[in-house]
Amino acid sequence: MTDQAQEIAQLDRTIHEPARLTIMLILDGVNEADFLYLQREGGFTQGNLSGHLTKLEDAGYVEIEKKFKGKVPLTLCRLTGEGKAAFAGYSQRMMGVLKGNGSAG
Amino acid sequence: MTQQTVSYGRRAATYWFVDGLPELLFGLMLIVMAGVALLLSIRTPGPWKWPWRALDLLLIYGGLVLYLVYERGILDFLKVRLTYPRTGYVQAPEEKEWRVETVTTLSLLRPEPPPKENVSFFRLRTVWPVLMAVLLFPIHGNPIGRWFVPCVTTALAVALYVVNRESERPYRWWSALILAVAGLVFAWAPVPGPLQWPLPFLLTGVWMAAQGAYTLVHYLRTNPLPRTAEGVRA
Repeated sequence: MTDQAQEIAQLDRTIHEPARLTIMLILDGVNEADFLYLQREGGFTQGNLSGHLTKLEDAGYVEIEKKFKGKVPLTLCRLTGEGKAAFAGYSQRMMGVLKGNGSAG
Repeated sequence: MTQQTVSYGRRAATYWFVDGLPELLFGLMLIVMAGVALLLSIRTPGPWKWPWRALDLLLIYGGLVLYLVYERGILDFLKVRLTYPRTGYVQAPEEKEWRVETVTTLSLLRPEPPPKENVSFFRLRTVWPVLMAVLLFPIHGNPIGRWFVPCVTTALAVALYVVNRESERPYRWWSALILAVAGLVFAWAPVPGPLQWPLPFLLTGVWMAAQGAYTLVHYLRTNPLPRTAEGVRA
């Protein structure tokens, strides 16, 4: 197995899935976002987004808080410290793989 | 999904302006400011006289500072009641990290926003030209006669366009042009003395409020309230 293949095998599969990567990208760029904003930005269906958020929450990468804004219920999502570290690690590893292949940089 | 051309952080910052409320509120604030300035001009006409003219200027400045302090809270209040949750809620990165540096180094005029751009940059960039205009063209002083209104209005239009051109909420060039032309009209129209100073700010306020109101109506029409409160997760 080449070094590159090893690097790829070590990518965090929780984040590597395209929909979850999109969620992580969005949440990494903001402080917090609600369910509807994530749905619109990522082009998700409700069920799809809900499922992926649950997986990210179970992995400890995303924190979900239910509250109210005025009288309207609000489901807020934000990256946890662990999630930020995992995403930074994933980005670094992925960039390394792509740069090693001459595809980035 | 559309092609991603800007960062999600910048998109989140831009999102703050999607409903037109920030422009509408700022426009209304300028109208009120112009109204107060008109009242002050009528109350104490004549040349500069210490300390009353200085107090007038301080009052205008104080109003702008109060606006800066309370604008975010007022907008949150309005957004919750008028526009949320049509297209969701997002909070852009915190402004604490850069606020002090921004204000002290006057980095508002640099074309590239910092990596952690925030909605408040627009607020500062937009208020800044107004503060400068108030300072450069002090109330009760008009050394250029009938060219005062065209010059100040054009200066405001150009400044608002230039300092915001790379921001998360840039003005369109034609918007600045219309404002400048509206000011130029008054080079040939007689403007009563007390109205000369407030008029450029009144024109700018009306134009911004009109754009904000149009954006708000368009937003409300194209984004009906979702049937469930937030499309809540299962």
